[in-house]
Amino acid sequence: MQHFHKKNILTGLLILVFVWSLFSVQWRADLFHSGGQSTFLHILLGLIQPDLSTDILQLAIVSSWRTLTYAVAGMSLALIVAFVVGILASGILTKGKTQRTAIVGFFRGLLGFMRAIHELVWAWLFVAAVGLSPFAAVFAIAIPYGGILGRIFADMLNDVPAAPINALKACGSSRWQLLMYGYIPHAAADMLSYTMYRFECAIRSSAIMSFVGLGGLGYQIQLSLEDLKYDEVWTFMFFLLGMVIVVDLWSQQLRKRLVA
Amino acid sequence: MSDKNSFTLKDVSKTFEETQALSSVSLSIEQGEIIALIGPSGAGKTTLLNILSNIIQPDEGKVRIYGKAAAQYSSGRELARKVGLMRQQFDLVGPLPVIHNVLAGKLGEWGLLKSMISFLFPRDKDEAADALERVGLLDKMYDKTSNLSGGEQQRVALARLFLQKPQAILADEPVASLDPARAEDIMSMLVQMVQQEKQTLVASLHSIDLARKYCNRLIALKDGSIYFDLPTAEVTDQQLTGLYQLMESKDGATVAAFS
Amino acid sequence: MTQSAKKLRRPFRFGFVKFSFLIALLLILSSWIFIFWVEEADFLGLFSEKNRDHTKNFLSNMAGIGVENPAFLDAEKWKQALWLTYETLQMSVMAIGFATMAMLLTVVPAARNAADGTLTVTKKWYGWLVYGVIRFLYVLSRAVPELIWAMMIIFIFKPGILPGAIALALHNFGILGKLCAEVIEDLDMRPIRSLASSGAGKVQLLVYGIIPEVMPKFISYILYRWEVIIRTTIVVGFVGAGGLGMEFKLSMSWFHYTDMTLFLICYVMLVWMVDFLSEKLRKAMR
Repeated sequence: MQHFHKKNILTGLLILVFVWSLFSVQWRADLFHSGGQSTFLHILLGLIQPDLSTDILQLAIVSSWRTLTYAVAGMSLALIVAFVVGILASGILTKGKTQRTAIVGFFRGLLGFMRAIHELVWAWLFVAAVGLSPFAAVFAIAIPYGGILGRIFADMLNDVPAAPINALKACGSSRWQLLMYGYIPHAAADMLSYTMYRFECAIRSSAIMSFVGLGGLGYQIQLSLEDLKYDEVWTFMFFLLGMVIVVDLWSQQLRKRLVA
Repeated sequence: MSDKNSFTLKDVSKTFEETQALSSVSLSIEQGEIIALIGPSGAGKTTLLNILSNIIQPDEGKVRIYGKAAAQYSSGRELARKVGLMRQQFDLVGPLPVIHNVLAGKLGEWGLLKSMISFLFPRDKDEAADALERVGLLDKMYDKTSNLSGGEQQRVALARLFLQKPQAILADEPVASLDPARAEDIMSMLVQMVQQEKQTLVASLHSIDLARKYCNRLIALKDGSIYFDLPTAEVTDQQLTGLYQLMESKDGATVAAFS
Repeated sequence: MTQSAKKLRRPFRFGFVKFSFLIALLLILSSWIFIFWVEEADFLGLFSEKNRDHTKNFLSNMAGIGVENPAFLDAEKWKQALWLTYETLQMSVMAIGFATMAMLLTVVPAARNAADGTLTVTKKWYGWLVYGVIRFLYVLSRAVPELIWAMMIIFIFKPGILPGAIALALHNFGILGKLCAEVIEDLDMRPIRSLASSGAGKVQLLVYGIIPEVMPKFISYILYRWEVIIRTTIVVGFVGAGGLGMEFKLSMSWFHYTDMTLFLICYVMLVWMVDFLSEKLRKAMR
C-alpha cells in the first residue's frame, strides 16, 4: 500500500509539471495567424482529396525510393557500428574487472554521445562540413541510429542467461566463441525485431533530411507546402504512410516467426 | 599424491557468508571410478563439485586436478580437456539447432576460424551425428534446441560430452528434474559412456537407488563433512538412514534436514 | 559411422525469414548502388582538400578560435541560452502532456480486446468501427515525422513554443497510442472478469481493475517518449516552432558560429538531464 501511495504522489507530481508547462503560453486568440482557421480547413480538405494525378504519383514514387535508399544505406552502416561498438560496450569480450570498467565506460559514453544529438543536427553538421551529398544523409542517420542500436544491443547481450554461457566456458570456449555460440544466438531475435522498429524510424528520419537541402519525400512535401498545394502534400504523406505500414507489417510477421 | 589420481583433495574448507559449506574434506579419486555424491540438501555437494571443476576456489586446503594444482590451470581450454560438466538443464543454447549445441563440445579444440565456418557449414558432422545416434536423437539434429523436452535436452548435453571427451565428468544433479523412467535412461547412458571411454564420473544424486545401481563408490556428505566414503557394496541401510535422519533441534521439535 | 547418419542432411526450407534476409540484402545493395551510380555521389570527394579546409574552418569557427568574445564565454548570452533551454523544457513537457491526454482519450477503444467486447464485457456494434478509425489515426500520426507536422502547424499558429509542442504531440500521440493499446491487449483478463462477475460497474472496473494494472507501463512509455521528444525539440524549432532550435537556426542564418556552439552545449545538457530524470522517475515508479 505504501508503494501504491508513492506512485500516486509521483503521478500527481507529473501532472503538476504538465500544468506548469502550460503557463509558458499566453492563451489568447492571437495565437493563430489571421488566416489560420481557413488554412486549417484547406489542409483538412487536402487530406480527403489528395492529388492523384500521374505526374505527382510518379514524383512521389521516385522521391519515396530516394528516401528509402538513404534510410537503408544509413541503417546498414548503423548496424555495423552498433554491432561492433555494442559488443564492446557490453563488456563480454573483456578480461578482468578494471579492463571491463574502462572499456564498458568508454564505449557506453561514446554511444551516449552519438545518440544525444538528433539526426537532423548531424545532417546539418555534415552539410556544413562537406556540402550537399547523399552521404551527409547516410552518415547523419548512421551515427545516432548506431548509438541507439548499439546501446540496446549491449543491454540485450548483458541480459543473456548465465547458465548456457558457463556451460560453453566449461567446454573450453574462448570469449569470441562464447560470443558466437552463446550470446548472439540468444539475443538475435530481439536484436532483429528492434532493428526492424528502428528501420521504420529511419525512413521517417530520411524523409526529413530535405530540411538541410537533401532530396526525397520531405523535400517534395516542403515544396508543395510552400506552394500552398495541400492536396499534393497529402499524396506524399500517404506514400510515407505506406512505407511505414509495409515495414511495420513486415516486422510483425518476422517477430511472429522468430519468437515461435 | 599420486599422479594417476583424477582428483586429490586435502583438508579443503569453504565458507559462504558465515555458513560453512565444506569443512576439512580430504579425498582422492582414481581414474575410471564411478562415484555418487549423496547426502541431504545443503550438505555441500554442489560446493564440492564446483571446487573439483575449479569454478570456485577453496578457502583452505589443496586441490589437485590430474596431478596439477587447481590454481595452475590458467586457460579454460586446458581444463576442458580434463574435466567436463553436466548440470540440470539450462546448459544448452536454446535458440541454436541441436547440432551446434553438440558441436560446442569441440569448441575447446577448434580455432576461431573453424568455429566461424562451422557456424554456417557444420564441421565434424559425422562425429556429431554419431553422438546423437548414441543418445537416440539423430532425427532431431536440426531442430531448435529449446523445442526439445527436458529429457531430450539432457541427452543433447550428453552428446556434447561425447564430443568433448574429457577425462573426467562432473555431474551436478544431472537427472533431478526428470521423471524416474527418464532419469534411469539418462543415468544408464551416462554410465555407459563413462565406462566405454574409461572416464571418471562424479555425480551428485538425490536418488539413493540410482546411486547404488550405477556407481561403485558412494561419498556421503553431511553438514559439509564426509559422513562416509565406501564402495557401494559396503554401504549399509543403517548408514543411509543415519545420513538422511531428521535432525533434532534443540527445543525438541523435529526439522527436516532436507527441505 | 552408420548409414542413417551419413544420409542425414540439413533439411532446406526457404521460409519467410530467409526470404526477408534476401530482400533486406537486395535493398541494401540496390540502395548503395543507387547512391553511388545514380546519384553519382562522390565518396572520395568527401575527403578532398577543399572539404578538409572547409571542415577545419567550420570547426574552428564553432570552437571560437580567433573569435573575439565567443558566445559561450559571454554571461549575457548564457543567460539568454539558459532561458531558451528552460522554454524548450516546457515545450517538451507540454508536448508529452498533450500527447498523453489524446492517447488516454482514445486508447481504450483502440485495444482489440475492447473492440471485441472481452474487456468491457459488453459488446457494441460500433466497436470495430471506432477501433479502425482510431488505429488509422495512430498510424497516420506516427508515420508523419514531427518536423513535417511542425511545417504544417506553423501555417496555422504564430511562431512560439505552442506550435512546437503541438507538432511534437501530434507525432507522439500515435506512437504512445500504439504502445499503450498493446499494453491493454496484453492485460491479464482473469482479475477483471472476476471483478465484473462480482457486480462491479464500468467505472469501478476501470478504476480498480484496469488502471492499476496498466498505469505503471503507460508512465514508463510516456517517460521514454519524453526522452525522444527532448531530442526532437531542436528540430521542430528549426521551422520556427520556438525554443533552442529556432534560435539555433537563426544564428545559423547569421553565421554566428559560437552562438550555435553555445546552443548545442545547452541542448546536449538538456538531453542528458532529461535522460537522467526519466530514468530516476522510471525506477521510482517500478
